[in-house]
Amino acid sequence: MAVMLARRLASAAVAAFLSALAVFLLMRAVPGDIVAQMLGQSGTDRTAEEALRAFFGLDRPAHAQFLDWLGRTLAGDLGRSWYQGRPVSAMIAEAFGVTAQLAALTLAVATLIGVPLGVVAGIREGTRIDTAIQTFNLLGLSAPVYWVGLMLLVGASAFLGWSPPFIWRDFADDPAENLAIMLLPVISLAILQAAAYSQFVRGLMVAELRREHIRTAIAKGLAPHEIYFKHALRNVLIPLTTFMGLILVQILGGVVVIESLFSLPGLGRLILSGLQGRDYPVVQGALLFVVLIAIGINLLVDLLYAAIDPRLRP
Amino acid sequence: MIAAATLAGTRITPGLALSLGLLAAFAVLIVAPGLIAVQSPYDVDPSRALLAPSAQHLFGTDDVGRDVFARIIHGTRITLGLVAGSLLLSALVGGGCGVIAGYAGGWFDLAAGRLADMILTFPPIIAGVVITGVLGQGAGNLVLALAAVYLPTFFRIARSGALAEAARTYVEAARALGFPEWHILLRQVLPNVLPLVVLQYVILFPLALQIQAALGFLGLGVAPPTPDWGATLEQGKNFILVAWWLSLWPGVFLLASAVAVTVLGRALRERLGGD
Amino acid sequence: MRDFVIGRREALLAGLALAGLPRAAAASDDLLYGPTDPQARRSGRVTVGSLVEPPALDPFRQAADARIRVSVLMYQGLFFEDQSGVARPLLARGAEVSADGLTWTFPLREGVRFHTGQTMSSADVKYSYDFLRDPRNGSPGAGDLSSIAAIEAPNPATVVFRLSRPNAALPMTLTNKYGAVVPAGFLDDPNSGTRMNEISVGTGPFKLRSFRPNSAIVLERFAEYWQPGQPHLDEITFAVMPNSAAMAVALQARRIDLAVFSRPQDTQPLERAAGLEVRRWPSLGQRSLDLDCNYGPLKDVRVRQAIALAIDKKTVMDAAIAGYGQVLGTMVAGMQDAWGVPLDRLPNQKVDLDRARRLLAEAGHPDGFEIDLTTIIGYDWMDPAALTIAEQLRRVGIRANIKRIELGVWIRNFRAREMGFTFNDWGTTPDPSLLFYRHFRAAPQGADFRNWNNAKASALLDRGQEVSDPAERRRIYAEFQMLLAEEVPTIMLFSADLLTVNTARLRNYHQHGTGWYFGLAKAWVAS
Repeated sequence: MAVMLARRLASAAVAAFLSALAVFLLMRAVPGDIVAQMLGQSGTDRTAEEALRAFFGLDRPAHAQFLDWLGRTLAGDLGRSWYQGRPVSAMIAEAFGVTAQLAALTLAVATLIGVPLGVVAGIREGTRIDTAIQTFNLLGLSAPVYWVGLMLLVGASAFLGWSPPFIWRDFADDPAENLAIMLLPVISLAILQAAAYSQFVRGLMVAELRREHIRTAIAKGLAPHEIYFKHALRNVLIPLTTFMGLILVQILGGVVVIESLFSLPGLGRLILSGLQGRDYPVVQGALLFVVLIAIGINLLVDLLYAAIDPRLRP
Repeated sequence: MIAAATLAGTRITPGLALSLGLLAAFAVLIVAPGLIAVQSPYDVDPSRALLAPSAQHLFGTDDVGRDVFARIIHGTRITLGLVAGSLLLSALVGGGCGVIAGYAGGWFDLAAGRLADMILTFPPIIAGVVITGVLGQGAGNLVLALAAVYLPTFFRIARSGALAEAARTYVEAARALGFPEWHILLRQVLPNVLPLVVLQYVILFPLALQIQAALGFLGLGVAPPTPDWGATLEQGKNFILVAWWLSLWPGVFLLASAVAVTVLGRALRERLGGD
Repeated sequence: MRDFVIGRREALLAGLALAGLPRAAAASDDLLYGPTDPQARRSGRVTVGSLVEPPALDPFRQAADARIRVSVLMYQGLFFEDQSGVARPLLARGAEVSADGLTWTFPLREGVRFHTGQTMSSADVKYSYDFLRDPRNGSPGAGDLSSIAAIEAPNPATVVFRLSRPNAALPMTLTNKYGAVVPAGFLDDPNSGTRMNEISVGTGPFKLRSFRPNSAIVLERFAEYWQPGQPHLDEITFAVMPNSAAMAVALQARRIDLAVFSRPQDTQPLERAAGLEVRRWPSLGQRSLDLDCNYGPLKDVRVRQAIALAIDKKTVMDAAIAGYGQVLGTMVAGMQDAWGVPLDRLPNQKVDLDRARRLLAEAGHPDGFEIDLTTIIGYDWMDPAALTIAEQLRRVGIRANIKRIELGVWIRNFRAREMGFTFNDWGTTPDPSLLFYRHFRAAPQGADFRNWNNAKASALLDRGQEVSDPAERRRIYAEFQMLLAEEVPTIMLFSADLLTVNTARLRNYHQHGTGWYFGLAKAWVAS
């Protein structure tokens, strides 16, 4: 187990380094830099351009810039935003707070809706209820998230005369306003994830109910709820946890569009606006953070699998 | 083709029938959109801008007066074609590398594996945004960006398949009989890995469709006047209060095509005995 | 809907009376930032929705228009760019110019305080403009001040600008687009630029309370502001909105009090809504089609003329902004009456397909040619305009392929003078020199983004800057405009009217032609 852990960690570290390098190179491959944006259509003086480029260290060779950034990043310093002047780590923390809340709420709603639906569909396999739930799953998995969001926004306005507040408030400052902002984005994301959950749980339940010990339990005349909840569901819980990890990665990846659609100041927007403004420290820091989270979750899922199923251990 | 061959003999459920029907309809739209939509998807006429749906314009018109029905119908080929093409590219390159890596191992396996890990750590939409940012706009670059996003998935599937095949006794037997390595790879390993790749292709298709449309929605899709569904959605989002038809129909078509392919994917997976 | 609150006639009269040189301050203080409402009183907070957000708030080093819109409420220059074309004294009390036009003396307002509590003196003014004009400090506004040789502060209430060549547009240059008067020494800190995202150090009616990127900027009333009784609003929140539909939804739900739109389709659902006021205002901005005179077939002036002759600006405007604007010749709508040449006197304005085809044939393209037409992602009006223009060009055989690029890439290309054939969307401070000089004067004095490199145009632009007699200036710029229309380095398409929608409780908001939020300094809230 220790050897496997070490090996996994090493390969995760390599992936992280390659990602950091890729992030750095990709950023510089996008044409145009912050200096052009700051000077716009007015500041055409070469002296001004060179002065600003020197100020940001953009006049130095790329490899020197990379090594410098890497060194500082390893020392735990992601630098400061070129526009905002705030530490990138603080900006990531702030934005991640928003994204994490969005992900957590989505996960909670999706679990509360998806798991019961999946269990019911599994127990009632082949009935009309099952068909209805499966249809929901199919539609939920197929509808573009931002399209659902757009329709919800318009629907709320047209039929309820309601709109989200749009100006961000942290939950700690103003819980009601915060939840009002989160409402539509969470619903749009949760429909997809609830469908994914429900589909997954249904599959597990169906497989579980066909197994020997359940059949034995049925033959013994145990009450149905005991069969379902004591035997079947318990075995479903472990794969469910790992699936949660996958869903989380998926949510983190899918928030960019939803954050843009609803003006949420989360990680996706931070990366997008950083990209547009060519704020290299912000994009590099935030992308690296997202990559590390994805690597971390994948690692955790792998380890969990290995803990459950010894055959997966190398 | 392979999908059809694999499906042969499968019980046709109502869902599968619906899916196959939809796919057939989409095939018609792809091959001969002009049969269904007689109006031009490109004709600009500001004097008939944002007209509501009517007998003349079934899905209404957009902000420069183009017929939305024609644009959606003609957009089928663009949208589904782009996704199909990029996944095909991804399957060929990723799958090919995966088979070689799994069968041959060694440094190639190691290097390609790390590269795949790296790509996989980027959330798909962000990866797409960054790549289109570097390469610039355009259909070709969109295909490349989408292909890159799914490269590691195909690589992993093909690699693990090839790894399992390589350990089989018939491969050892073939080697003992003196068959050259390339022959074993092409004749023994590949045919057994192929169904896995095809299945993955069908499973990824709806996901890639969403990413493609999301990139279009962020303004990073194909350039106008090409009638792509995601781009039509992006165009419609500003007019959604006055012209809902501009946003509704591309979403419905995206939904329908994703449903059709998903159902097909499930049938295939059952057939192949996967879980 | 009320049309044009500030009439074109009124602008014309003001322009004729005062064009160019500002007189003494007099009673014009009432007109700073917009008309004064006698009923206005100290009142409440408002929220303004905006589709764009400033990347940062530094008025010295950020060129983004989104920055200017907001920072004009916190920072002030010596003059206010009244959209009638008059530079009204703001921190200056007036202006006196020597007979040779080389020495400008500006008496300053007294008792002006910075947000930091210090009192403004001539040393601060000298410090701030010296910083702004030194190109090593990296300000986009430095180039406009290149005629300044030295700034002196003979006493605390007077500054003197000494010029190396006369510049009739100097007061209009010392307005609020770039730079501001800030406390002497503040900018010495290399991180002063980003400090301005946390605190404001200007003299303006509002000061910064907080700025959270991707979310909101909050300004609060500056209690020690120098204009008595102003401003009226206690607090303004600028909220970033995802798209214009969301902005309309938020207005209907009273989540925001004010928003500026540029396409009437966006405001159409709001026109019948109770409690919302939709208004149209003339603009100092222009939507244009730029032609890089070094780019492929565009090198030939006949090709550029053929393109101009094939384009029907009215139809393009109808497609892009449903007709809510004014078709342009060679002058932005807000300055047409004061400075523009009537459209029927300019060459190459009327569609003439036969002549276009002839010109193309003479230029060696009897069957037309293929060319990339660039639009910018996020500029919603450009795609419909591009589709329409592509259609119009096809009639003379030119096949335009629309290419969309991201703003950052576009700016890079533009600055590198590699713009190709592209749309542009830009505004101006209301003076013809500030409008034309940088864009069309040959290098090195101008930037000449379109590689026009026209000696005659350059000579006219130099003259226009030096001459101070208003009638003579108008004659020079008329001649320049004829040349611009004849040679076609740019095709000014139209000015899009600014559309504001506000809740009924927000009173006396007047939209400035630049699109900046000056009007909030005079607005108030009825309870």
